[in-house]
Amino acid sequence: MSETNKKLVTGNEAAVLGAIAGGAEIMFGYPITPATEILQNWAAKSLDNSSLSYLQTEDETAAGFCVNGALLAGVKAFTASAGPGHILLQDPISMAEMERLPFVGIMMQRGGPSTGTVNFSQQEVNLASFGGNGDGLRVVYSASSVHEMYTLTTKAFSTAWKFRFPTFVLGDGYLGKTEMLIELPKLLKPVPAYKILKENAAAPTYLRNCYSDEESFGSVLDENIKDWKKSKHAIAESESYKLSGINELIIAHGIVAEACKDAIDKMLTRNKKIGLWRPITLNPIDSASLIAAAKKVRKIHIFESALNQFARIIKYELAGLKLDIIEHGKPARGFTPEEIIEEIMQ
Amino acid sequence: MNEIMPKCWNCNTKPHLFCPGCGHGITLKHLGYAIDEMEIANNVTLGIDIGCSLLSWNFFNFDTIQTHHGRTNPTMVGYKMANPKRVAIAYMGDGGGYAIGLQSLLHAAFRNDPITVILVNNENYAMTGGQVAPTTETGIVTATTPKGKPVSFGPGFHGPELVRCIANDKAFVARVSVSQPEIIKLTLKKAIENQIKNKLFSFVEVLSICPTNWKTNAKESFNRLLDMEKYYHVEEIKPNE
Amino acid sequence: MSKKSNRMNNNSIKIILAGEGGQGVQTIAKALFNAAISAKYNVSYIPSFGVEQRGTPSVAYITLSHGQIRYPRFEFADVALVMGERAMDRVAGVINPNTKLIFDTSNMDTKNLKKPWVKRLGVPATRYALEKFSPKSYNVLMYGALCKELGFDPKISWDSIHSILKDKFKTKEIAEMNHDAFSFGYEIVFEHKNFSKPIYETKKTDNIFRNAEKIATISPERCKGCGICIEKCPVKALSFGEDLGVFSTPVPDINLEKCIACGNCRRYCPDGAIKVDKK
Repeated sequence: MSETNKKLVTGNEAAVLGAIAGGAEIMFGYPITPATEILQNWAAKSLDNSSLSYLQTEDETAAGFCVNGALLAGVKAFTASAGPGHILLQDPISMAEMERLPFVGIMMQRGGPSTGTVNFSQQEVNLASFGGNGDGLRVVYSASSVHEMYTLTTKAFSTAWKFRFPTFVLGDGYLGKTEMLIELPKLLKPVPAYKILKENAAAPTYLRNCYSDEESFGSVLDENIKDWKKSKHAIAESESYKLSGINELIIAHGIVAEACKDAIDKMLTRNKKIGLWRPITLNPIDSASLIAAAKKVRKIHIFESALNQFARIIKYELAGLKLDIIEHGKPARGFTPEEIIEEIMQ
Repeated sequence: MNEIMPKCWNCNTKPHLFCPGCGHGITLKHLGYAIDEMEIANNVTLGIDIGCSLLSWNFFNFDTIQTHHGRTNPTMVGYKMANPKRVAIAYMGDGGGYAIGLQSLLHAAFRNDPITVILVNNENYAMTGGQVAPTTETGIVTATTPKGKPVSFGPGFHGPELVRCIANDKAFVARVSVSQPEIIKLTLKKAIENQIKNKLFSFVEVLSICPTNWKTNAKESFNRLLDMEKYYHVEEIKPNE
Repeated sequence: MSKKSNRMNNNSIKIILAGEGGQGVQTIAKALFNAAISAKYNVSYIPSFGVEQRGTPSVAYITLSHGQIRYPRFEFADVALVMGERAMDRVAGVINPNTKLIFDTSNMDTKNLKKPWVKRLGVPATRYALEKFSPKSYNVLMYGALCKELGFDPKISWDSIHSILKDKFKTKEIAEMNHDAFSFGYEIVFEHKNFSKPIYETKKTDNIFRNAEKIATISPERCKGCGICIEKCPVKALSFGEDLGVFSTPVPDINLEKCIACGNCRRYCPDGAIKVDKK
């Protein structure tokens, strides 16, 4: 029997509840709009819950390395940031990527590059998926609703600790601040944490990220890639929205996808045969589902609040298919359902 | 302790990869003896920086984590917060501690995080070929100061004194030298005790030699070290009265 | 692996040099680079090493061509110069039956040669350097042998390495000795079989010294010849001996009659290679 809880929360508050449900115990962070409420809310929760603790660090880079340290000790830790802080986090995330640490980060996208705006964008897709100096062996969930800020954050911890890739929940400034009544379903027990530095003097754990020659480093990378490829099917997720009988397809992620759903519902009343394919994981992408959806149509519209970070990911997957792909990129600005309809009907 | 090498050294990874005559070898030996005498080898986790310190990644019989340059302190702060029972040691050089990592070193001291930081100062960035470091004294020729360190780059950096200004009065701050290895051992024991018994921050700088980049033989290396000790004082650095 | 030449076009010669860090491999490489330019070749030279400053193999890839050179590395070398057993590991993947392998028989046992079918040209270079010249002229000697094999003019070849090393030759005598070492290498007759025995290998067992009151243990396998123990001994009981340590540097011997068992050698040795116990 599933018990549910209804709560009036913002996206940022939902993320905190999701982290607690996912088994997180320590948060490290630095204030940055629009993610600051996550740190504040967590700090407040830790007053009543002795299993939670936190440290506001000297900057985001330090926060990320504190996370790495806590993970090594076998404790679920995470950080939350945005924009310039997301950039500073690439240093510790790269270490986590190399050493296969279960790093969890909640990234609330804001206008960029540089300080930009504190409000909204979808311009941190590259950063989350392929930032740092590695090859993007990171899991990225794109939350499209306050509800998903809860469920995907919880899931992120289990994904990270099971598969050992840095795992991100990509939200944005609108989601962070939107307050809604959401249901908090009772979720499966999270994957437990375990010591990564095993504290066994008879067989010490030596973890390094620096190698002296190409071949030995290459073998380690190849092993990580093998694991990544093996795990893709289990991790990749997507949503198909009203795809039956379509001749045009919208592809969008995050809150923009929700606006697209509204637009689709309206267009369907005007007999336009159009649906939405939404990735829940931007990395790895649910390629099989994407290709199946794309094969139904000749024309695809990709909407994103960035120039073409998301479009490039999709086009990479769809290479080889005969398609007319139209990119609707609007960096750092959102789309209302009406705008979406206007762009499509043009 | 009269062992040819500390018991907590992993003898399978010896000879180690530090250069002939490197002060890291002397420092790590007396860190090892200190750990042996305190009988805590089963409970130590060592964090190391990038730079020559990274060569100690498989050096000891205890868990070792190589971090990024200048990031050993926050990693060990997070580790210790998650597992307060372990002895957390952060080991780095003058670049990782006083340049790229200075902010985190100072904040760990400021917060009195209960970790023990050991910083080996050989007045240059050795692993990358001997470039100028904050601790390089004025006038010294390095790979990036071919005419000697100019005044505009700042004089030699007094790290422990700076840390002392910002650290809690009960934190333990000291400078030692590889010219006196027994003092290294005694001082590291005091520093680690401050973490275990008092749950406070401790910081020890070790003046060290770098024959490879200094281009000195054994005698010349220790002579230069004597000169360094005139500028960087070997002593426990206590809070102002 | 084809029996044809390794040369992708008839105009290029691919050379790999490998030795311990500190043996002067890159000096040879730079000298060869300059000599080849004087000989009107196009040249590319790329060193390859790991993060360690000392103690791991130093490798150089050199390509000489009369045509254009695009990519500085290659699959198989025409000529390989190997100056130690550990360096052989770095070269093994780059040689094939067409490669000529010049190697130092004094410190490499042919039993351990990774590719036994390769054309081996042996030079007991360490022995000659130590017996006739000096340890530091070792790389100059090997350079001479390599230049001869490549057919380079001896004067151009010597001028090239001399211009790099001349500031290091503190006296005229030292400069002349190195010139002799170069010429000696250039005149060498390679061993093709019945190779000289490797006599300059790291001693694998500890040296134990005993008298009525003390036992000293010195481990060549960990000794890097830094000389700190000799410097720190207050009674000058230590001095470099005959055995070779892990980097082929001399290992100290101890005079137990002079030794006062103060513990300094143990205290200061960065490598845990020496101690003296009172009985």
